[in-house]
Amino acid sequence: MRGYHDIGGNSAGPIEKIELPWQHWEKQVEAVRNLLGDATRRVLSLDELRLGFESFGADKYQRYSFYRRRLEAMIDTLEKKGLITRDELMEELARVRLEWRDPDACRPPR
Amino acid sequence: MTAAPIPVRYRVGDPVAVLDLGKAGHVRTPFYVRNRRGEIAQFCGYFLNPEALSLGDTSGPLVPLYRVRFAMKDLWPGEARSDRDFLYMEIYDHWLRPAPGPHA
Amino acid sequence: MTASGSIGSHDHDHEHDHDHEPEAAHVIEDDAGNLEGQQMIDALQALLARKGILSAGEVTLEIQNIEAPGTHLGARIVARAWVDAGFRARLLENGKNGASELGIKVGEAQLVVVENTAEVHNLIVCTLCSCYPRSLLGQPPSWYISKAYRARAVREPAVVLAEFGLTLPPSTGVHVHDSNADMRFLVLPLRPPGTEHLDEDALSALVTRDSMIGVALPLERAPA
Repeated sequence: MRGYHDIGGNSAGPIEKIELPWQHWEKQVEAVRNLLGDATRRVLSLDELRLGFESFGADKYQRYSFYRRRLEAMIDTLEKKGLITRDELMEELARVRLEWRDPDACRPPR
Repeated sequence: MTAAPIPVRYRVGDPVAVLDLGKAGHVRTPFYVRNRRGEIAQFCGYFLNPEALSLGDTSGPLVPLYRVRFAMKDLWPGEARSDRDFLYMEIYDHWLRPAPGPHA
Repeated sequence: MTASGSIGSHDHDHEHDHDHEPEAAHVIEDDAGNLEGQQMIDALQALLARKGILSAGEVTLEIQNIEAPGTHLGARIVARAWVDAGFRARLLENGKNGASELGIKVGEAQLVVVENTAEVHNLIVCTLCSCYPRSLLGQPPSWYISKAYRARAVREPAVVLAEFGLTLPPSTGVHVHDSNADMRFLVLPLRPPGTEHLDEDALSALVTRDSMIGVALPLERAPA
């Protein structure tokens, strides 16, 4: 059996030597995962996270960026363990999106 | 943790071959070294099996972990640049078998 | 960027020389993707906070923790190893203990320091994901976590090095370390020639991140 993540030795094109900035949300994904796996919580280990992105499907593995894969795997695993539900998360996301819309104070004067 | 650690079976220099255990789920033995022969380069210590950890099972037992050295010419026949190129990788004890002799 | 080719299931066994679709180009988030990611992690964090599992303050602190390490820590270790043979020997024996002699705490299970010599050049990769000594060097460069690097470094390391501008003499062996389990790796580069007069601080300025991964040599003189 060979996972779609197990790519050592496969052919690939040139290595793109880009230096990407580390986005705040990406750091936040890592920070949240670290806390969930720490000694006071132990609700999501690195190995559980890895199983998450190794099993959420080859399509997602190809399409998503590195940190987005970890975020999706984290959500999948927390849901699988009954700590959150997708519905709750979507509700929270709706709240977050509302907060991201420009408040009236920022609208340009008419 | 109640179970005793899995006993160490190999010492530095021992020739070994990597098994293909046909396991589904989270394994840390990459495909490209399965059924390949190498030799023990270092004993790394005892660790919990990531296959069990990935399922939330932290009960053990601890498993010996070794760094195994493979000749690139053995991993990629006909392709390797040099007899002096090697690949080192960490392999858990249960993924290895002894491989004495040149063609075992 | 979008993935190229179609990637089917890889459940069947292969011969080693079976031709796969080449690995997809590196996926980079655009502004929309970054916004989506930010909103999603904000939502997850808020939900977890609501459930009392963590707090925003803890996340802020942890972000500071993961931002703190970087090249400078690895460079200090390398520079000390260049000037102090006893330290060098202890570092090669046990990297975590060696680092702690300098007050540097390695969070991972163990740090294996592999030394470059005239005969051997070392290269680090994690083919399965992106294992890297983050507690020491910070986050890995994008190319390190790209599928192209992960796929090719273990099969054609000299070609990969040449792409990075590093050509090795034919007599130098390449040792590739696939960091696939609990160990993390640091390359101890060769001290550049003509640096005998430099002190530790000046030496550490020559040590680049890429030289500690193995895709480059250290600088021969400090950047102006």
